[in-house]
Amino acid sequence: MTKNLLALALLGLSAAAAARDDIEVLARTCNGCHGVGGVSVGLSMPSIGGLPQKYLKNIMKQWKYDERSAITMNRIVKGLSDDEIDALAAYFAKQRWVPSPQPAAADLLAKGRSAVSENCEDCHGITGSDPDVDAPRINGQWAKYMELELLKYRDGKFKMPHRKMKKSAQDMKSADVPAAARYFGAQDK
Amino acid sequence: MHSIDRRCFLKSISAAAGASVLTVPQSFAATPKARVVVVGGGFGGASAARYLRLLDPGIDVTLIERGKLYTSCPLSNEVVSGERDIRTLQRGYEGLARRGVKVVHAEVTQIDPIKKAVTTGDGIAYSYDALVMAPGVDLDYSAIGGLTEELADTRIPHAWKAGPQTLLLKKQLEAMPDGGRFIIAVPKAPFRCPPGPYERAAQVAMHCLHHGKKKAKILILDSNDTFSKRPLFEQAWKALYGYGPGGMIEWIAGASGGIVESVDAGAMTCQTTFDEHKGDVINVIPPHRAGKIARDIGLATLKGNWCEVKPESMESKAHKDIYVIGDSCVGGELATGNGFPKSAHMANSQAKVVVASLVAKLNGLPPPVPIYTNTCYSVVGHDWGFSVVHLFRVENNQWVYVAKGSGISPVTFGTKEAPKPVPRVYRKMEAEYADGWLRNLMTDAFG
Repeated sequence: MTKNLLALALLGLSAAAAARDDIEVLARTCNGCHGVGGVSVGLSMPSIGGLPQKYLKNIMKQWKYDERSAITMNRIVKGLSDDEIDALAAYFAKQRWVPSPQPAAADLLAKGRSAVSENCEDCHGITGSDPDVDAPRINGQWAKYMELELLKYRDGKFKMPHRKMKKSAQDMKSADVPAAARYFGAQDK
Repeated sequence: MHSIDRRCFLKSISAAAGASVLTVPQSFAATPKARVVVVGGGFGGASAARYLRLLDPGIDVTLIERGKLYTSCPLSNEVVSGERDIRTLQRGYEGLARRGVKVVHAEVTQIDPIKKAVTTGDGIAYSYDALVMAPGVDLDYSAIGGLTEELADTRIPHAWKAGPQTLLLKKQLEAMPDGGRFIIAVPKAPFRCPPGPYERAAQVAMHCLHHGKKKAKILILDSNDTFSKRPLFEQAWKALYGYGPGGMIEWIAGASGGIVESVDAGAMTCQTTFDEHKGDVINVIPPHRAGKIARDIGLATLKGNWCEVKPESMESKAHKDIYVIGDSCVGGELATGNGFPKSAHMANSQAKVVVASLVAKLNGLPPPVPIYTNTCYSVVGHDWGFSVVHLFRVENNQWVYVAKGSGISPVTFGTKEAPKPVPRVYRKMEAEYADGWLRNLMTDAFG
């Protein structure tokens, strides 16, 4: 113990900082599916690093308490304490948002932009990089993931508590769904 | 040039991993803080090597692996059925080399736990302060009469280590006529990828349906009496391919004569306790045990087959400063039947436990609290996938299986008395998630 404290002092670290490492150990378990620092390379898996703390905390708690439908995450978060969820939300919110801009055809982008200005811009910003406080950034988020998520909002078989998002998603024309997803997915900034 | 590389490297780490207490700055001293050797470059070994360098670039990491190209076993059943190109599952070791891992392609011939050195086939000795063993499993051909390694490479592939045999099995399936019979023989548990054989049955059935072989049969001869994600598999088999007598897929439990004792490659038959089964394709998966090199140095303390480790660090119970991860180790809450599944994600998670523990130790910091997780998807048809998740914590130096953070995808909705089917869209989602999961897992391990 003395040796540990000495080492901490030598490295200029406080005990509090050392304790913080536990959240990194926990956060690292998320990397397997969401990438190091929450930067995903899997098309159907969202990047989560740099998303708003409130958004991350809300969805994890809603999954945990069965207020929001998920297929895999709802099982995973049930094993976490509320404190761990808060810490994970704070941790990933502090990471840098790294967009993964995916190229798309110009006509699809134009169609997407028009659908976005009508249905999404109000909360997410026209490129998805300027969200409301409880909404995620989605510029350069994976289009495939966003399409699947929109399906959850539109399908009616999923419990999705955000009324405005649900309504906006359901107002969209079917053909606009992939276009909007591809448009946001193509945005760098 | 070198210093620029190093700066970029450090920058990219802090960008990707965030500032971390245990992301220790590179020591510019000529001698490294410690030397860690990793034996085996599968998901476990690659993850350990990569995370060691991510968390503490002051540690000298050498990864010793025979092959130059790794093929993921997860999702390789999709290669057998023709749904996926095998190249999407392959990774080299350049990503690890870029992180500063010294990658050595050689066969480990000797390990001296006292002198702390690993020797390769070319006679070079690598001394270590800590050794991470991730040798995977050996398949025990001698357990099945008539089966040899050579037969597995030519006539009766196991395709349980993804690569050439995966492609051989695919070819055999393609050549199978309508009305043909595809036999999958499952070894006694524990084996790598517990849901794998049953996912394979579904993928084979899907191939047959898509290729006009509606009268094909897939017979699973199982040495066990139940299996992973069973209600989910049975539900999907029934809905998609027909299950049971008259269906495309049939499963015979060990207690009902499913245990394959020998094979005859000439007659293409499998002999079980009671019967002889003839197949057009015979896919026998032999029983597993820890990789030979681990057994040779006495790490396999459980019945001589599996390597026992300490819950807080994955350090071997047999040798100090040797850590065993991946399919060759045994852990979890064994008393309740909730052991660690032998999966890629589990190996990746175990690697992170070792790395966190080692980096803390080498920097004189208190040991972090370990946590182990697993997520594993199975894809059984177009738009039909499901998963299992596991969570293990460590309390009082014992693994604790956390049931409420574990479990399979829902089989039904509604209540027990009035169950409702799970909407197909849920299965579609998980089939889509499987691809994203694997891409991330491969990148998390190999860079």
